[in-house]
Amino acid sequence: MRKSRRALLLGIALAAAGLSFPAGAQEPALEALMRGMAAVRQRQESFTEEKTLPELDLPLPSQGILRWAAPDQLEKHTTSPIEERLRVQGDRMLYERPDRGISRQFGLDEQPEMRALVESIRATLAGDLAALRRHYDVSFSGMADGDWRLVLTPLSVRLRAVVQRIVLVGRGVQILAIETDGGGGITRMQITPLP
Amino acid sequence: MRSIPGRRYGPLLAALLLLAALGGALASVVRVRADLAEFLPPGHTRASEFLVRELRSGAATSLLLIGIEGAPSQELARLSRSLGAALRASGRFSFVGDGTTSLGDAEQALLFRHRYLLSPETRPEAFTEAALRTKLEALLDGLRSAASPLLARFGFADPTGAFLGLARHWLGESQLETQDGAWFATGTSPPRVLLIARSQGAGLDAEAQQQAVREVREAFTAADPGTAQLLLSGPGVFAAEAAATIRGDVHMVALLSGGLLAAFLLWRYRSLLLLALVAVPLGAGMVAGMAVTALAFGSVHGIALGFGMTMLGVTVDYPILLVTLRQRGEVLPEAAARIWPTLRLAAAAAALGLVAMLGSGFPGLVQLGLFAAAGLLAAAGVTRWVLPRLLPEARIEARPLPRWLACPLAGLRGRPGLALGVAAVAVAVLLALGGPRWQRDIAALSPVPRASQALDEELRRQLGAPDVRYLIALGPSDEEAVLRAAERLEAAVQPLIAGGVLAGLDLPSHYLPSRATQQARQAALPEPETLRERLQAAMSGMPFRANAFAPFLAAVAESRNLPPLDAAALSGAPTIAARLSPLLSRRGDAWQGLAVAKGVTDPAALAMAVAGLDDPAILFVDSKGETEGMLAAFARATVLWAAAGGVLVLALFAWALGGLRPALRIAAPVGGALVVTLAVLTAAGEALTLFHLASLLLLAAVSIDYSLFLRSSPESPDETGQSMGAVLNCAVCTLLTFGLLAFCGTPVLHGIGLTIAIGVAAAFLLACATVPRPAPRA
Repeated sequence: MRKSRRALLLGIALAAAGLSFPAGAQEPALEALMRGMAAVRQRQESFTEEKTLPELDLPLPSQGILRWAAPDQLEKHTTSPIEERLRVQGDRMLYERPDRGISRQFGLDEQPEMRALVESIRATLAGDLAALRRHYDVSFSGMADGDWRLVLTPLSVRLRAVVQRIVLVGRGVQILAIETDGGGGITRMQITPLP
Repeated sequence: MRSIPGRRYGPLLAALLLLAALGGALASVVRVRADLAEFLPPGHTRASEFLVRELRSGAATSLLLIGIEGAPSQELARLSRSLGAALRASGRFSFVGDGTTSLGDAEQALLFRHRYLLSPETRPEAFTEAALRTKLEALLDGLRSAASPLLARFGFADPTGAFLGLARHWLGESQLETQDGAWFATGTSPPRVLLIARSQGAGLDAEAQQQAVREVREAFTAADPGTAQLLLSGPGVFAAEAAATIRGDVHMVALLSGGLLAAFLLWRYRSLLLLALVAVPLGAGMVAGMAVTALAFGSVHGIALGFGMTMLGVTVDYPILLVTLRQRGEVLPEAAARIWPTLRLAAAAAALGLVAMLGSGFPGLVQLGLFAAAGLLAAAGVTRWVLPRLLPEARIEARPLPRWLACPLAGLRGRPGLALGVAAVAVAVLLALGGPRWQRDIAALSPVPRASQALDEELRRQLGAPDVRYLIALGPSDEEAVLRAAERLEAAVQPLIAGGVLAGLDLPSHYLPSRATQQARQAALPEPETLRERLQAAMSGMPFRANAFAPFLAAVAESRNLPPLDAAALSGAPTIAARLSPLLSRRGDAWQGLAVAKGVTDPAALAMAVAGLDDPAILFVDSKGETEGMLAAFARATVLWAAAGGVLVLALFAWALGGLRPALRIAAPVGGALVVTLAVLTAAGEALTLFHLASLLLLAAVSIDYSLFLRSSPESPDETGQSMGAVLNCAVCTLLTFGLLAFCGTPVLHGIGLTIAIGVAAAFLLACATVPRPAPRA
């Protein structure tokens, strides 16, 4: 249970840094969170996701596994209802859809929108605040019990046409949920660490 | 009797200065063209006419191929992005293609709005309930996948996927690997990034092209390239490079051969004065040649200029003959008057021989023939009338030939049997090798160095630029007719594509369908109410909200009444317009279309399919076959004219020397030298081009001098020795000039140098062998 103890410690640190919560005073707490994130080199988590679109009556559910390996490797492996794999390493992205025999590789720079979306999670996991701020206006609020909320607003107009806001919610060094607002639809992802 | 040197040499110096000034003035006034197309004749057939026009001003002429290598991949990608951005920002390019190529917002909006008119998927059967149901299922599946942001954006307005299909078709045809916003050549190591740019100037506008080339180089330097190197190719680069190479080669040859010539003449004559004397007719010939050519054509082609100036190197013979053949006690004007009949005959025969080039009908060769003939006659005239007056008292004497040279030469004399034997061997060799080999590839005529041609080929292949060997010309006609012709052609080649003998056609109608086709697609779109009902039925049981596809219904309704796009309207979509422009371009009032065939394995089948259309607006062009045919036709014409020139020269000799026998005696060594040269070239594996032919004509012209002057001298051993020395000096000078050309980088100059060097040596030796042995002293 080392992980939860570290979460607790981080929670205390965060609380100490931001006992009262005026906006300006959150910066040390955010930096402390990022340092904590950077210290986790490997993660494996399961996720469930629900896409809600204004054009659809029902949300579209999916689930799978998230894998992270510092410094820059992130994989989203959807296992149901369709199998699909998105893997990012460095500036390259690999997309695989086995049931259709699709496997495509491309550079993140070819798709600026995709790059920003990837960095919202990857830069957070890497604890790279500078990278996060290259793409987003970052607003952070931390609670005394170690819970926190990171609201990312895209800086680029082009990206804002697709995604208006990304909210990450977590506790300690664990991201628990990601909510992405875009084009009138919302995608909600719940994350649970795997043992 | 001694006068001060200034007065004595004054006229000579003044003449040289005058010539230099005239030459300088001409060089600054006369336009020098460098593109190969200008050198080519207008075509004789419709196909070759089209081809030459495309070569001169077609869209391909404004293309720049760019490669960067010599740095790690990441650095190359950075340079590519930076260069691409700088070129786009410069406004000098109508299109810059690199790994960041994507549709701009306004462009995307325009194409999205016209998607049902542009998409070949717009057919009545695409809008049935069953077809819509399939599309909706695919959309739902896509929305579940990682592609959902893209599909959420376009899918509800375009559930049939017309727009994404078009975008894939337009942008996704590249065979390049895109990495970090740059195109990487596949399978090259070390890595190389590629870009492609189309400059705004038309192909003919050499100045605009050079500017574009400069722009690329500057942008590259500004991007802080470090160790990386820029590779540039394309017609604009070629023009600049060809001009520079020709200039460089001519400089190199002029300097080196000038130095060697000077050293040789100093050794033989021990007189600096002779060098100045030799320069006068040479300079006069060049000025005259350039002036006459420029007057006749309005400009001089770089190849004609470079080659013509080299050819006129043979005019150093005239002053050398004049000075060397002067007899003791004669002043220069007297000597000039005495040798004039022979000199006149030699110059007239040479000029007559070059007439063959005038008759070839090949603009480049006509220029060259005119340049050389005018220069030769001017040089001969200057040697007769001007040179002696500049320095009447000059007493320059050649040293006697050294013994090691004089003895073998004297021994060679009077052995016509030997000469005949050599010629017979040469003929036998030629026969055994199956005659001279003709160069059929037009690239061999190009002044572009081989290394640059190879780089161009490599970049083209890596960029996946289509092999432009098989083209189909559409039109010229109005825009709509050209586009309809493209669509008829596409329908006609479908069986070939299905049969695998043709990978595809790049057609203007792929980017811009004809008005008729767009209207047919509009007619294929269902009425709004019908579509609403079908969509409703197709959606049943799916999680879509009732009004989810309202944008789709609105777009289909709007599309039914949109005015069709034409080329002018499509200019609002620069990426697509740039793809279209090489395939559909305006020529004055008419439009010319072009289809490029890809992956042709059975050209005959393609030609037959096109011929089967029996459509005057659709013409199959095998560009390689056409140029080869064109070259062969001109080679034939030149050979015929050369034969005619030979007969004329023989007639001139017969008239001047009073009989066919003496004429043949003069001409025999020349003929022998031609045969020997052809045999040696063929044995060495050289393929003959038009320039070899021109060189052979020149060779004939030069070797006539040897024959004439060796035979015209009085039959005293002393004087024959004297004229043999004079002719040897001439031959060595020519060897020094042309022998160096054989080392040139320009393929053309190399061929010329080799031909003339071999020929001059053969001509001199054969002429010596056929001169009768001196009568023993009484």
